[in-house]
Amino acid sequence: MGIMVRWSEERVVGAAPDQASLTAARKLAHPGPWSDTGSNDVLVWGKCQGSGRTPYQVSVDTATPAYRCSCPSRKFPCKHALALLLLWARGEAADAGEETADFAQEWANQREDRAAARERRLSGQQPDPVAQAKRLADRLGLMDAGIADFSRWLTDLVRTGLAAARNQPYSWWDGVAARLVDAQLPGLAEQVRAMGSDVHARTDWADHLLFHAGRWWALTKAWAMRDQMTPEEFADLRVALGWATATAGVQGTEALPGPWLVLGAHRTDDGRLQQQRTWIRGPGGRVAVVLDFAMQGQALATPQLAGAELDVAVALYPGSAPPRAMFTTPVAPRGLVRSLGEGCSIAQALEQESAAVAASPWRERYPVLLSGVRVSAADPGWLHDGSGDALPIVDASLDSLLALTGGYPVDVFGELEEGRVRPLTVVVGEAVMTP
Amino acid sequence: MSWLAELRTAALLGTGRHEPPSPPGDLGFQPPDGLSREESLLDQAALADVVTRALRRASSIDRAIGTADRHNEAAPPDDAPEVSGDAARLLELLLTQPPVGLELRAQLVTDWLQLATESRRRVPHRLLPALLTLAKTKRGIAEHLYPAIGARGRWLQDIIRPEEAAVSPGSVTDWAELGSADAAVELERLRLADPGAARRLLRTQWETFSTRERAAHLGTFATNIQAEDEDLLEKALDDKAKSVREVAASLLDRLPTSARASRMAARLRPLLRVKGLLRKQFEIDLPPDPDAAALRDGIAPDPRTGEPDRLGRLDTIIRGAPLDVWTTVTGRSPAATLALLEGETRVINAILDTAVLRADLDWVRALFSVRKDARLLNCLPHRERELSLVRYIRDGANPLSLVPLLRDMPRPWARPLAEEVLKLVTAKNAGQLAAMLAGFLSQAIPLDLADQCRGLLERSDEDAARRRVLRDVVQYQSFRQSLTEAFP
Repeated sequence: MGIMVRWSEERVVGAAPDQASLTAARKLAHPGPWSDTGSNDVLVWGKCQGSGRTPYQVSVDTATPAYRCSCPSRKFPCKHALALLLLWARGEAADAGEETADFAQEWANQREDRAAARERRLSGQQPDPVAQAKRLADRLGLMDAGIADFSRWLTDLVRTGLAAARNQPYSWWDGVAARLVDAQLPGLAEQVRAMGSDVHARTDWADHLLFHAGRWWALTKAWAMRDQMTPEEFADLRVALGWATATAGVQGTEALPGPWLVLGAHRTDDGRLQQQRTWIRGPGGRVAVVLDFAMQGQALATPQLAGAELDVAVALYPGSAPPRAMFTTPVAPRGLVRSLGEGCSIAQALEQESAAVAASPWRERYPVLLSGVRVSAADPGWLHDGSGDALPIVDASLDSLLALTGGYPVDVFGELEEGRVRPLTVVVGEAVMTP
Repeated sequence: MSWLAELRTAALLGTGRHEPPSPPGDLGFQPPDGLSREESLLDQAALADVVTRALRRASSIDRAIGTADRHNEAAPPDDAPEVSGDAARLLELLLTQPPVGLELRAQLVTDWLQLATESRRRVPHRLLPALLTLAKTKRGIAEHLYPAIGARGRWLQDIIRPEEAAVSPGSVTDWAELGSADAAVELERLRLADPGAARRLLRTQWETFSTRERAAHLGTFATNIQAEDEDLLEKALDDKAKSVREVAASLLDRLPTSARASRMAARLRPLLRVKGLLRKQFEIDLPPDPDAAALRDGIAPDPRTGEPDRLGRLDTIIRGAPLDVWTTVTGRSPAATLALLEGETRVINAILDTAVLRADLDWVRALFSVRKDARLLNCLPHRERELSLVRYIRDGANPLSLVPLLRDMPRPWARPLAEEVLKLVTAKNAGQLAAMLAGFLSQAIPLDLADQCRGLLERSDEDAARRRVLRDVVQYQSFRQSLTEAFP
């Protein structure tokens, strides 16, 4: 099933850190300045004659992906790496079969050594149990106090009424959020902060605030009962409150081998934080989500192409299904699939979501693969299936969905959220595409 | 009132003023004893949240899309094959990362569409949205969308922007039912395709229109005006609304064989006299105060206060009368007549307006030798138009005066004109001219001058505007070359 994956030009474009780099790369993307180019399953390499005497040595690990260039640019990847990838994507240079250039092989070896060393370091570290217990006790104390404070705020909120709360300035909400951050409850703080603008931006603000107040109230009650919870339930609660699970702890758990299929990905940017969600499915059909974060202005991890099969080991965070996951080995794309497999109807998808909410009432988003759904342009855009069920579309280019599907039934992978569906991937003909 | 509605009311007003409802018994929800009002409301809000989310049902598609059929039809299959990968990549580049300026980009996209049409290929589906978006603001692109966008493209256009899809011809039977803006558009379209039909249509409905509609609809006759229109226009001179009368008069100005033109000729002739031994003195009198017939023909009445504009009345008469009144009075050709009129700027302007409106070629040619007016040039047949301009340039025209003339010239230009203009652009101190030509020169230079432009660019100096223009020309030509290669 796997074939050697040559990147598409779009994917190269997607890897560029900014427009200027891409423009510069396009100018270099002709065979003229290039020599000693080649590629194998993982690496693409070549030398680019710049203004200096020695040509720049460029190596790209297309699997991870990772880039290396001997030029002094601080852009990452630099224009040389992008230009090389463009040439390779177009089949104009760096054909497979050449013996790996020394500089590229050397770089690949160094990276392997470093990865191995990091693993040794992580497994070798033994934390001090006494200090750890103290830190935990301190944190729990802060959180207990914060939750108690937040419960009082909630009772005040409903005593004076939601209509009165809506008249509060944004700073009022922000103040509550800041107290929650101080109490080490950043997940909760984020929700309260978002509510400060939602009460003005949404037409259904009253229900939105009412239901969220209920959900927050349930969180405070759940916190008090945390000793009676299963580890899975407690993990979900931690995520909702924003108590992060240490990466090292997850890395230590059992790694699930691939191939993992990329179902689809979504990026958000709230002005301060960029987030990327990549939904993947393992050999047994288990679905998980890899989250990447980056501060404003920093580069997010390169998106994985929907429909790509990845040779990679995955470790799962604790929590109910579908769980968060992390890649524990370098990502090596095997090839692209032609279909995401059998999906379900809209009614079945909603039932699955319902079951997931019952298991974890804090869950706000649920991944679904819908089969045989058509796109309708009626405002605000709908997906509908053969039984006449329809879901409104959110956050997608309706024009693009219509252009790709032509109104014919297709398979769509997306996220259910607040009764709407966010289409991330469509399967048209024999191709998996991102609208 | 349902439980949820009661809960909502209590929450909005606040438990301080409104008691929360009792929890719904049928869900098996047993609240603990001794809860405060606030706790009870929050407990029930938590319940409402989970119940709402767990009970979510799909909407019915019939309800969601209503009866709008167009949302239900799938696209008809595309019969033309998709363009090659190279051609698709070039279009994608133009749409998403244009390597050239915006004007050039629009031109290249248009070129791409034409090449696709010629090779009977179609735009890849995934590029349709960006292309249609661009076509919204670029008329040149919009005009070349068909058939290159294929069946999928038409379908998409119809669905996402039905108001922009082409008006289907033959819908004239319902014309009377249309709103006045739509009716004007439809009449305009019909006028272009079949002026006689447009005239008949307007005549049958004439009495039913408001003043504004009569003026607007009659205005569409400016397209394809012909002798048969005279009856309706003559009738409109008696309209009770001044705005309608003015439209009719200005349209009759374009018909030198009309009855109104003869009446204007009778008014103009007594005002013109050629005197002197050599018959070289041309005297032009001002018209007398208008009588009722003159007022009907659109000559301005006396103003309520102040002096009447007699020169304005003369202009009206000149514009309405046939131009051969002038040649008859002088007994000379148009060129010789214009020579006699030297210094009579206002009169020549009125004659020029008239000649352009009627596209009277004898007069246009004579006028172009005394006035370098773009409107005159536009009246000439294509080839003559280029030759006139070349001649004008060689006669040492002021380069900056050429800009409007060149801008209106159909592109690409023939080689002689292109060569003359390149000469001008590369002359000393031509930076300003180069800057003014920047918007269209690249599309105007024919492809076979590409090498010459490349040579000019290499030799070019420090003048930024000139370098940019030449670079645009070279870029356009080389991208154009890639396009041609991508469509075998």
